[in-house]
Amino acid sequence: MDGKDSLWGLFQQRGLSRRSFLKVCMTITGILGLSPAMLPKVVSAAEQNPLPVVVWLHGHECTGCDESFIRSQSPLASDVLLNMISLEYSDTLSAAAGEPFEHHLEEVMKRYEGKYLLAVEGGVSTGNEGTFCMVGGKPFVAALKEAARGAAAVLEIGSCAAWGGVQAAKPNPTNTVAVHTVVSGKPIIKIPGCPPIPEVLTGVVMHYAMFGQLPPVDSQGRPKQFYGNRIHDTCYRRPFFNSGMFAEQFDDAGSKAGWCLYKLGCRGPETYNSCGNLRWWNGLSYPIQSGHGCIGCSSNGFWDNDHFYDRMPGIPVAKTITNADTIGLVVGGAAVAGVAAHGALSVLQKSKRRSGEHEEVGGPKA
Amino acid sequence: MKRVVVDPVTRIEGHLRVEIKLDEATGKVEDALSSGTAWRGLEVVVKDRDPRDIWAFVQRICGVCTGMHAISSLRAVEDALGIEIPKNANSIRNIMLSCQNVHDHLVHFYHLHALDWVSPVAALKADPKATGDLQNAVLDKYSLPLAGPMDFNFNAYPKEFPKATTAYYKTVQDKIKKIVENGQLGIFSAQWWDHPDYEVLPPEVHLLAVAHYLNMLDRQRDIVVPHVIFGGKNPHPHFIVGGMPCAISMNDMNAPINTERLAAVDASINATIDMVNSFYVPDVLAIGELYVKKGYVDGGGLAKERVLGFGDFPDEPYSGIANGEYHKKLLLRCDGVVENFGQGLDKAVYHELSAQDITDPAVLAEGVDHSWYSYPEKGKDLHPWEGDTEPQFTGPKEGTKTQWKYLDENAKYSWLKTPKWKGKTAEVGPLARYIIVYTKVKKGVIQPTWVEKMVVDQIEAVSKVLSVPPEVWLPTTVGRTAARALETQLNAYISKYFFDKLIKNIRSGDTSTANTEKWDPKTWPEQARGVGLTEAPRGALSHWIVIKDGKAANYQAVVPTTWNACPRDSQGVHGAYEACMIDTKVKVADKPLEILKAVRSFDPCLACSTHLYDTAGKPIGVVHSDPYGKK
Repeated sequence: MDGKDSLWGLFQQRGLSRRSFLKVCMTITGILGLSPAMLPKVVSAAEQNPLPVVVWLHGHECTGCDESFIRSQSPLASDVLLNMISLEYSDTLSAAAGEPFEHHLEEVMKRYEGKYLLAVEGGVSTGNEGTFCMVGGKPFVAALKEAARGAAAVLEIGSCAAWGGVQAAKPNPTNTVAVHTVVSGKPIIKIPGCPPIPEVLTGVVMHYAMFGQLPPVDSQGRPKQFYGNRIHDTCYRRPFFNSGMFAEQFDDAGSKAGWCLYKLGCRGPETYNSCGNLRWWNGLSYPIQSGHGCIGCSSNGFWDNDHFYDRMPGIPVAKTITNADTIGLVVGGAAVAGVAAHGALSVLQKSKRRSGEHEEVGGPKA
Repeated sequence: MKRVVVDPVTRIEGHLRVEIKLDEATGKVEDALSSGTAWRGLEVVVKDRDPRDIWAFVQRICGVCTGMHAISSLRAVEDALGIEIPKNANSIRNIMLSCQNVHDHLVHFYHLHALDWVSPVAALKADPKATGDLQNAVLDKYSLPLAGPMDFNFNAYPKEFPKATTAYYKTVQDKIKKIVENGQLGIFSAQWWDHPDYEVLPPEVHLLAVAHYLNMLDRQRDIVVPHVIFGGKNPHPHFIVGGMPCAISMNDMNAPINTERLAAVDASINATIDMVNSFYVPDVLAIGELYVKKGYVDGGGLAKERVLGFGDFPDEPYSGIANGEYHKKLLLRCDGVVENFGQGLDKAVYHELSAQDITDPAVLAEGVDHSWYSYPEKGKDLHPWEGDTEPQFTGPKEGTKTQWKYLDENAKYSWLKTPKWKGKTAEVGPLARYIIVYTKVKKGVIQPTWVEKMVVDQIEAVSKVLSVPPEVWLPTTVGRTAARALETQLNAYISKYFFDKLIKNIRSGDTSTANTEKWDPKTWPEQARGVGLTEAPRGALSHWIVIKDGKAANYQAVVPTTWNACPRDSQGVHGAYEACMIDTKVKVADKPLEILKAVRSFDPCLACSTHLYDTAGKPIGVVHSDPYGKK
């Protein structure tokens, strides 16, 4: 192997310095929990080792995350699959099947022990000793634990892996849980969303391939560069919220004018995701731009957070303009007060939901 | 006799296991078993929820055929509540359905199915210049110059066109070579690349197809732009009961839909038509002809005996489905059952499958004789509206319940039920749709719409290319794959047709996208029930809802892969997967590539097919999670 496809090779191709390469190796040493004395070994592996190996498992899921993954525009799916990572095991894309495929997984786990990234799509069914989700004649939960043992890090791909997902919504008949509930002792990154935005999924992989380390995460384990803001904070319709201009029902004048969808149940004010800034298809649209409120698909437990079209509890709103011709008459005072209050109040929404409190603090009822 | 297990079956959606009993001397498959090995219980999850939310839950049944379950659910709720959606919403949903069919089929062929036909290893032996020449020959010989109606066409020239230069194929070949030499095969690892079936095609076809695998991997995203424009994202675009949330206005710069947004949809549909016409259809027909000429006409199985469809693409809005109005508006009238097509058109028998029929338990029902569920009355099949089941996991024949060796074909062995038409299993999907429409038109049952005429024209054109009649090539593994490609061409033009219709309607001054008259649950009857039908990429799909006091009292989905991948019935009669495996010859016992190719020709979607059914009104607590009967 000439090392051209190694991490060092990648750095050279991208004109990055030896110094930054060594820095990354130090970080990897840290991530892998190795002693600093191991650094020369990591450097040598990164100089010679080929592409980062990825093993992608499927639990209770719908394959929407794979579909999202291959929709990425930058990087393109082919560049990810052929030049950024070596995807050695994937139920969806791998050529092989059955026994040779399972045998290959065993080999990969041995050969790259402690080095491979484990991507998990789907929740983990734990009911009935895991027999509600069988892969290769074994419960998925067992296969997951085995694969996690030798992984360098675990990526929870999508809301099912990160939170349990739709099958874990009440009454959760298969007793499905998030990956981190059954896997521990590894760096775990959450990439929630149903599905996550394509470029968010490949962005995390690209970050690892480019910088040799996982991206910085927030307190919940989500990459800050993709989940650092609420959709509400980056929404192009935010000025209409601030001005108290709302769609009152679907296809009304406010809907056509593209006003704020808060009163139609939009969960943008409590949802952390990149829909407002990255949008889908590199800026083409996102649910709010297409006229439907956010359903909060990257939030924990969003399936059980009320009827989708009930306005969120706890946010004061300004008086609503229902006629486009009266825009000039908007008085901003109430709206400004509302904006100041809603940031602080969003923290309270969960507890309000739990206590069944659905009255808004101020403003008229929808 | 050797028993061969393949688990997991990959390059599909969800979790599937197959087992075959093989006579090694003759290569004959004596028996075959297909098992869905996961159960998610989404119908239980949506019980007691607001019917206006359910589309989003059941949409997550499947992220591959995304939107199909959502639209089926919306149709079921609207049928129950008597909601007629606006014309624009009907056109938009049809665009979303048809572009999803195109996307689903194209990705299935290139990224899930192609590696059963072509091999990157074989591509290394190809001559890049000869591959370029082959590309020209393929376009000349295998393009199908058929099209749907086009009111206007802003596409000046085909933007998506295959490259036929030596340099292109050499670069792709060099990349494959590098991957192989580095020993990191990634997704190409561990396949039976030495299987004799990979020698059916010359090396140049392998290189051409692998190049198109990569090209289409990077282009497929543009096919579903209509989902992103109208539904905000993909997978899992957004909808609403009563129509579409994407309001239309040419007077507002912030409107979800205005001229610029429609231009993006137009560009996407044009690119899609080019991709299908220049890549998918010629590639499939070129590979298909080489296979058929070499005598590969096996894998038909149940398709020769019985196929079933519900019909789709309402040309105009309709007042209901259960009342029969939906069926009067369809452009693709594949509703019905055709038996014995394998014996030729003369012997083929068409049976009507009306709205009244599908709501009749004597016509449509499901059994659980070999499924890990139990029914209250043993041996009695139940209609989806009346369904009742508890999980009853019994484990395998050999091995333990968490470490299977062999499943038990004589007992329960799958999380899938067995759907039946008049007590019989049937195949559904693109092949079924094509057989039904062709039979109905040829027998004079219907006067063809432009859609149905195109179906017949396509079948006749391909029969000419292959020089064999439809009953020989259609009900086979190759035919199933070819019918999907033909249907993709058809659906690309259906998108175009409904886009034109949308533009014309907006031009006439109608911008309505949602009927909100019955948005408020106070306007609903105390109790109502409805059915939502679609022809999803994998076949006939039906959703069933019972609404009580504003909530879903019962919800069920009978999905295409359940029809196809189901376990055998009480008489031991096989479903479509099992029958097609039995109808397939295997050359190398421990490398059953032919079996996987045959099963993958159905485009399996297991997450779609594994469900649980509950009696209307029963409390959620009825679901027992303990398989051994303890409550």
